[in-house]
Amino acid sequence: MKYDQARWTDNSDDRYEPLLSEKANETFDIEDSPLPDDLTRDSLSLPDPAEPELARHYTRLSQMNYGVESGPFPLGSCTMKYNPSFTEDVAARADAAIHPDRPDSTVQGTLALCHRLQDYLGRIGGMDAVTLQPPAGAAGEFTGIQIAKAYHEHNDDERSEVVIPDSAHGTNFATAAMAGYEVVELPSGDDGRVDIEALEAAVGDDTAALMLTNPNTLGLFERDIEHVADIVHDAGGLLYYDGANLNALLGRARPGDMGFDVMHYNVHKTFATPHGGGGPGAGPVGVREELSQFLPNPHVRERGGNYEHYEPDHSIGKVHGFYGNWPVLLKTFAYIARLGDDGLRDASAKAVLNANYLAEQIEYEVPFGPFHHEFVASAGEQDAADAAKRMLDYGVHPPTTKWPEIVDEALMTEPTESETRRSLDQLAAAFNAVASDSDAELADAPLRPAAKRIDQATAARNPRLSWQALDDT
Amino acid sequence: MSFDVPDDLRYLESHEWVRVAGDTAKVGITAFAQDELGDVVFVELPEEGAELTAGEDFGVVESIKAVSDVYAPVSGTVTAVNDRLRDEPELLNEDPFGDGWMLKLEVDDESETDDLLSPDAYRDQIE
Amino acid sequence: MSDSDSHATGSPYAPQTAAETAAMLDAVGADDLESLFDVPESVAFDGEFGIDARSERAARREVAGLLGRNADLTEFLGRGHYDHYVPSVVDDLASRSEFLTSYTQYQPEVAQGFLQALFEFQSMLVELTGLGVANCSMYDDATALGEAATLSQRVRSVSGDRILVPEHLREGKRAVLSNYADGPDLTVESYPMTHGVVDVPALADQIGDDTAMVYAESPTVRGVIEERLGAIGDLAHDHEALFCLGSDPIALSLLERPADVGADVVVGDAASLGTGTAYGFGLGMFVTREEYLRQVPGRLVGASEDAADRRAYTLTLQTREQHIRKERATSNICTNQAWVALRTAMHAAWLGPDGLVDLAEDCVTRARDLAGRLDDIVGVKAPIHGRHHFREFLARTDQPASAIVADLAAEGFAVHAVDDHLVQVCVTETTADATDEFVAAFREVAK
Repeated sequence: MKYDQARWTDNSDDRYEPLLSEKANETFDIEDSPLPDDLTRDSLSLPDPAEPELARHYTRLSQMNYGVESGPFPLGSCTMKYNPSFTEDVAARADAAIHPDRPDSTVQGTLALCHRLQDYLGRIGGMDAVTLQPPAGAAGEFTGIQIAKAYHEHNDDERSEVVIPDSAHGTNFATAAMAGYEVVELPSGDDGRVDIEALEAAVGDDTAALMLTNPNTLGLFERDIEHVADIVHDAGGLLYYDGANLNALLGRARPGDMGFDVMHYNVHKTFATPHGGGGPGAGPVGVREELSQFLPNPHVRERGGNYEHYEPDHSIGKVHGFYGNWPVLLKTFAYIARLGDDGLRDASAKAVLNANYLAEQIEYEVPFGPFHHEFVASAGEQDAADAAKRMLDYGVHPPTTKWPEIVDEALMTEPTESETRRSLDQLAAAFNAVASDSDAELADAPLRPAAKRIDQATAARNPRLSWQALDDT
Repeated sequence: MSFDVPDDLRYLESHEWVRVAGDTAKVGITAFAQDELGDVVFVELPEEGAELTAGEDFGVVESIKAVSDVYAPVSGTVTAVNDRLRDEPELLNEDPFGDGWMLKLEVDDESETDDLLSPDAYRDQIE
Repeated sequence: MSDSDSHATGSPYAPQTAAETAAMLDAVGADDLESLFDVPESVAFDGEFGIDARSERAARREVAGLLGRNADLTEFLGRGHYDHYVPSVVDDLASRSEFLTSYTQYQPEVAQGFLQALFEFQSMLVELTGLGVANCSMYDDATALGEAATLSQRVRSVSGDRILVPEHLREGKRAVLSNYADGPDLTVESYPMTHGVVDVPALADQIGDDTAMVYAESPTVRGVIEERLGAIGDLAHDHEALFCLGSDPIALSLLERPADVGADVVVGDAASLGTGTAYGFGLGMFVTREEYLRQVPGRLVGASEDAADRRAYTLTLQTREQHIRKERATSNICTNQAWVALRTAMHAAWLGPDGLVDLAEDCVTRARDLAGRLDDIVGVKAPIHGRHHFREFLARTDQPASAIVADLAAEGFAVHAVDDHLVQVCVTETTADATDEFVAAFREVAK
C-alpha cells in the first residue's frame, strides 16, 4: 500500500499552507476603552480571517495530519487504539458542561458518574480507592509518588530514593526528581526483565518506592513480580505501577493482585480516549486502602444515596486546579460501560494476539519474548529513525524508534486490538519493504507525506518558535 | 569507521581531549564523541574564572536526541571559553579538535595529565 | 435488538472475526487466546469486574440519565473557570479525526497540520504577552503556576526559595502550587492585598533576597484589575526574583501587555477561549522570556525547513523533556492539552483582534453594569472594591452568603459564597440575557 498525504503549497513555493498571520493579519488600536489608558495595551495584532477562510485553513491543516482514523498507528507504549465516536457525543453534552464551583447538591449527576468511574477503575486495577484528579499519566505518577511520600512521612520514615528500571518511561525518572527524590536506576537483566540481584542491591532503608511497568516496555511480563513486591515491601518501600501498558492485561491480571500499592491509569491509552495531538488525557490514580487517606483533595464518596466531595484525612492536597480533565473522564466512563467485562477482556486478548501476529510476520529481528501488547524489533544495520521515515511512505505510521535502548535501533511496536488482520498484513508488508530498502532510499524518505525530511538540527540551533521570530530572519 | 585521534593530545574515557602546554590546557570533545552525538545543537559552557576539578562535569553538549555532560580532564581555572560555540555549535561536529575547542584552563597540577589516556589507549577504547 | 451490533460479546472495536482469530492463533503457534498471556497463575485474575456491557445507545442513555440529576442552573460563576460562547465552527473543525485521533508530533513530516496549528497558538500567546517563548500547553493555570515556581529554581540569576503569592488566590491553585513546591523545598507565602489589589508597601516589606518569585494576577480571583503591576515587577527585580503574572487570553487582549510591566513569566488558563465551561477542564498557558528558553517545561514547536526547502514545523529543543533528559528534565509533563490549545487558537482567530478586544471590553462593562444593578438592591453592596473589574466582582450581603447561594439556587441561579457575607458574581455573554431575571431573584433573596 502507498499513501500520498495532501500537500498544500503556497504560490511562493517556499512554504506549505501559509500561516494565519500571513493570510489575514490585522492590527487593532485600542481606543475609547471602558478602562483608563494606563490599564490597557495600545493595540493588538492578530489574524482576523473570515469564517469561511478559517474553516478552509484548518481543514487543510487537518489534511496534512495523520490520526488513528487515517491508518495503522502502531506507536509502542502509546496504545493508539480506535477512539469510539459516540464517546465524543457523550462528552459534548450540554448538561456535562457545568462549573466546578457549584454546590455538591446541584451536581449529583456528575458526582454519581465520578463515583461510578472510580469504582470501575478500582475493580479493573484491583485497587481500593481511585482519584480522578490527575490530568495526565505523568500527573498521575506525580500524584502517586507524592502519596508515597506522604505515607512515609506519616510514619516518620524519611526515605530519599526511588528505584526505576532502565527500561522505564522517561516520565518515571522526571517524576521522582520533581518530587524531590534521588533516582536509582536499575539495570535490566539479560532476559529484559527486572534483575532480582540488582534489585536486592538497589533497595534498602532509603527506598521510598519502586516504579515499575508490567508488562514492561519490551512487552514482557515481569514473572517475578511477587518476589519483586516482597523485596520492596520488606525494605519498607512501596510498589508503584505505571499503567501505560495496562491494555495488555485487562481481566487477566490486576496490579493490586500483583502487590502494587499505588498505580495510575492512562485512560487515553487503555480506555480509548483520543490523544488529541498530544493531549488531553487523564491519569487517575488507584491506591490500597491504607493509602486512601492521602488521596488528593477532594475525593468523591457516597453517603446515604447522595454523593459528596470530601477531603481525605491526610490528603496530599491538589494536583489540578479543579477536578481534572472531566470531559476525558466522561469518555472513559462511556468506553468502559460500552465494553463491560467481556469487551475489556477481549480488547486485551486481541491486542496481545495482534502484537504476536505482527511480530511473527516481520523480517526484522525481534529479540526477547513472549510478548504481550507490544514488541521491540531491531532495525539491525539500518538507522531506526530512517526506517521509520520510510514507513510513512507505505501508508502506515511508524513505531516508536530508538527506545527502549536495550534493543539496538529499536522499533517499538504496539498494533492494538483495533487493527484488522488485513491492516496487520499491510503493516508487516511496510516493515518488510523498508527492511529491504537501501540506505539511500531510507535517507531520502519520506517522499509522500506533506513535508519531506525536516531539518531538526536547524530547528534546534536557531529556535524560531513564533511567527514573530520568522519576521526577524 | 575510524576516527581521528591526534597524537599530541591526551584523552578521557568519556571522550574529552586535552592539550597541555606548560600550565595551560585546551579542552574539547573527540571526533568519535561528536559522531556518536550527531548534529550538535547547543553547548553550555562555564564562565571564565570558574574553578574546575578533574573528573567533574563542566558543561553540557546537546544534540537533537541526546544530552551529554562534559568532564574536566584536569583541574584548573577557566581562562577562556569558545564563544563561537554559542552561535555555531556545529563547529563541534565540523572541527572537534580545532575550531570546536571548548575552553582553556590554567592548570593547577600538571601531573594530573599522567592519569589520562594516551592516544593509543583511547584508540583501543573506541575501536 | 436494533441498537446492538454483530459483536454479541467482546469489544465492538476489535474487528477480528472468529475465523481470523483462529488463523492468527495458528500463525503464532498458540492454542488459544489465553495461552498468549505469560502471567503466573499466582497473580492471574480469574474473577469478574462485574461491569455489564451496554449497547452504545444504552451507554448514552445512562450518562444522560445521570447528568439529568444535575440541577439546571444559570451559572453566574467564575473564579478561574469561565463560560464564553464557542462558535460551532470550532467544534466542527476540531472534531476532524486527523486532529482529534492523532498523537504527539514525533513524526513531523506527517503531522504538519497540527504542528502549524500549535505554532500559531504559540505565536498568539507571544503577541498577547509580548514575551518571546510560549510552550504549546500545560494542564491548567494551577499546574502552569507550579511549573513557573520550579522554573525559578533553574534560572541562574535567582537564588531564593520563597514564592510569594497574593492573599486573594483560588485555594485550589495555591494547593497545586504547594505540591510543586514540595520537591524542590520551596516555601509558599501569601502577601497582603488591600481594597482588592496588591498592598505594594506590604509586599515591599515582605520581599527579600531569598525570594525566588513573586506571583500576581490581573484580573485577580475576585475579578479586580490590578493597577500597579509595574511596581510589583520592579520590586521582584530589585530582589533578583522572577515576576510571574497570572491572566487569561481574553483579559490580555485589553489589559497592559505583560512585557510592559516587567513580567518574566505569564501563566493562566486559556480554555475559556475555545472550550468554555467544562467542570474545571483547563488549558495552561506558559509564556516566558527568551533567555529562559532552555528552562521551559513542556513541548515547543519550532520552524525549520524540509528537504524540499520549504518551511516546515517540528517539535524542538526536546532535550529539555523527560523522554530524553529523564530525571534532569525541566518537567515530567508528557501528555499535555494540545487539542484544547487547537480549539483556543481557532476561537481566537474566529474573533480576530477586534473581536477579542470587544469581548474583553464587554467583560469590563457587563461586570460594572451588573454590580451597579445589584448595588441598587437594599441589603447589597456591590462591588465591594472600588476598582475596575473584569467579568466578576464581590458583593456584600446583609443576609448570610450561604443563604443567598441556597436561595438563588432554588430560583435557578448559581453564585459563589466567598465569606460569611460575601458572594461573588460573574457575568459573560452567555449569561447576559439572564441578568434581568437574576437581578430580580437577587432582590428577593437579599431581603
